[in-house]
Amino acid sequence: MSVSSEKNVQKSFTLPKSDFDKFFTLLAQMGTVYAAVKVSEQSFAFRAVTSAQQIAFDAIRTILPPKKFFYPPSETLIKYDKDGIYENEPELEFKVIFGVHPCDLAGLGIMDKIFSSGHADSHYMRQREASFVFGHSCMPDKHCFCQSMGSDCAKSGYDIFLTDIDSDYFIEALTPAGDQFIALAQPILAGATDKDHERNHHFWETRSAAFTNGFNSSNLKVTMEGEWDNKLWDELGERCLSCGSCTPVCPTCYCFDLVDIASLNNDSGSRKREWDSCQFTGFAKVNGDYNFRPTPVDRLKFWYRHKLHGFDDAYADKTCVGCGRCTVSCPSGIDDIVAVVKALQVSSAAKSNEVADA
Amino acid sequence: MPESNSQSSCRPDSCVQNNSSNETCTPYLPTRAVLSKITEMAYDNFLFEFEQIDAIFRSCLPGQFVEIWIPGAGESPISVCSGSVGKTLQLLIRKAGRVTKALFNLKPGDWVGLRGPYGHGFPVDLYKGKNVCMIAGGLGVAPLRSVWQYLIEHRRDYGRLVLIYGMKNSDEILFADELMALRHSQKLELFLAAEDVTVCHIANLEIEAGRVTDLLDLAELSTDMQVAICGPPVMYRFAVERLRRLGIADENIWLSLERHMKCGIGKCGHCFIGGKFACQEGPVFQLTELANLNEVIEYPREKIQI
Repeated sequence: MSVSSEKNVQKSFTLPKSDFDKFFTLLAQMGTVYAAVKVSEQSFAFRAVTSAQQIAFDAIRTILPPKKFFYPPSETLIKYDKDGIYENEPELEFKVIFGVHPCDLAGLGIMDKIFSSGHADSHYMRQREASFVFGHSCMPDKHCFCQSMGSDCAKSGYDIFLTDIDSDYFIEALTPAGDQFIALAQPILAGATDKDHERNHHFWETRSAAFTNGFNSSNLKVTMEGEWDNKLWDELGERCLSCGSCTPVCPTCYCFDLVDIASLNNDSGSRKREWDSCQFTGFAKVNGDYNFRPTPVDRLKFWYRHKLHGFDDAYADKTCVGCGRCTVSCPSGIDDIVAVVKALQVSSAAKSNEVADA
Repeated sequence: MPESNSQSSCRPDSCVQNNSSNETCTPYLPTRAVLSKITEMAYDNFLFEFEQIDAIFRSCLPGQFVEIWIPGAGESPISVCSGSVGKTLQLLIRKAGRVTKALFNLKPGDWVGLRGPYGHGFPVDLYKGKNVCMIAGGLGVAPLRSVWQYLIEHRRDYGRLVLIYGMKNSDEILFADELMALRHSQKLELFLAAEDVTVCHIANLEIEAGRVTDLLDLAELSTDMQVAICGPPVMYRFAVERLRRLGIADENIWLSLERHMKCGIGKCGHCFIGGKFACQEGPVFQLTELANLNEVIEYPREKIQI
């Protein structure tokens, strides 16, 4: 499948990889460039880069998804003193995020919806607006299952998308800002030929065939509801450490806590937002010692449900984008979403067979 | 993303006294209110009154809630407890957690922050022309006070009004003077029960020994009653069971569910009930909306189904 299903010659270009340094110089003119950088033997992270050589083009997944740029782990929302209460509006740094893969672009799309709907979150929106996103193609590893979640082809969330077609990049713009950048980069770009379109098409076909991990996602809601009391949950819950590793690494986990940081005499202070996790013991606690999700089993199921078929929130659809981060970061190995879904589906199918037999 | 819009139109000055009306402002910004009066209602249960409140609070509807902010301590979601809000806002608060404890240290003249009102309250429009039964357990009487005050303010629009109020100990009774006056005025039928009846300090208020469910039998409810319930989580199961036995349909039963709404605007995720934001679609839910939801009423591990 192609990123853009329509062949629109004017919007598609190619760039020889040998000219990427020139391309990088142009994008660095927009603001601080953040891209995947190798930070340890096995891990990558989005870091500020000043040259193309620092970029790890082969990075499959970064430790944290790009949500951290617009929704940082901790940020001051409100400041107060004796005279009043003020919105905290820090000076914005224009961010160029380079190399965001389709799963993470889908994740950004979900975060955009959550934070822009209803009472729009000005803190997220301001930072999001002061950014330019370059999507980048990738090949799946054994943990990737974006194909199952329908997020393997980027449809939104980026300004420009680069597909790796051997010696060149196939480049498409999605937004007016993307078009503007293309106009700026015109001297080093070539209009995509039919042959280039074919190469682009071939890449996505090859990639679609390369997935080794996944499941049929058409019946996730029915399966989750029907298997709510499956004893698999108890087994997983017993192994869960409630450490919350699965939530910060998730491109679509948006839950947070609000905390006050007061000066010593409480004359002034600030109100901060910090990432929270539904896996923590007290997440659903209310006064009077009522905890609506007191055990790891309850909390794990809650999280799985949000990921696999969504809640009645602004997004109201499955929020898992199949990036595989929870699977690789869970110390107990219980966030293997693919394995869990498959086990539930087997049990669900067995039940319906019983009904059919009877 | 397209335009780098670093020049926001929202200046601190304009934000200070402006709540959610300006979309470029943060939705987490409280407006200041001044604590004007503190009245002890029962042990550790005080009625707090606030003045100089933002005009937006006049739109408060029965069953909605506000976020009260004590600088340095944090915010807490508290139900509105009066039928309408004019120049002052009343909140009945029990000393329970970090924020409410900090509130009990304040004195008249001190300021707090307020945000809201948030959520969907009790459907007082739908109740029009109907008989309404309010069932309160403990502190749950506070949100229901907003309902009975509203219904009595518009008394001609409603049929029979019943208030059933249960508590652990009779000396925990809240709004006793107001309940006395209501009983005398005969605008509403009042049934009171306590699990432990010690000497009641309001001699004319008869308090039965027992529970809310016992009172439901005494109240002779007709099957067409609209029922509004608010109480501790443990109460709902028993109350709903009894109401069903009395022939009241699920669509006529409305529950106000307690969750820790930290943001109030459907972002922070703390108040999810089976996938619904209590702060947006609730805190008041029609029982039929909750039928297929998990983790609604009590600890889900006890497999309590309603």
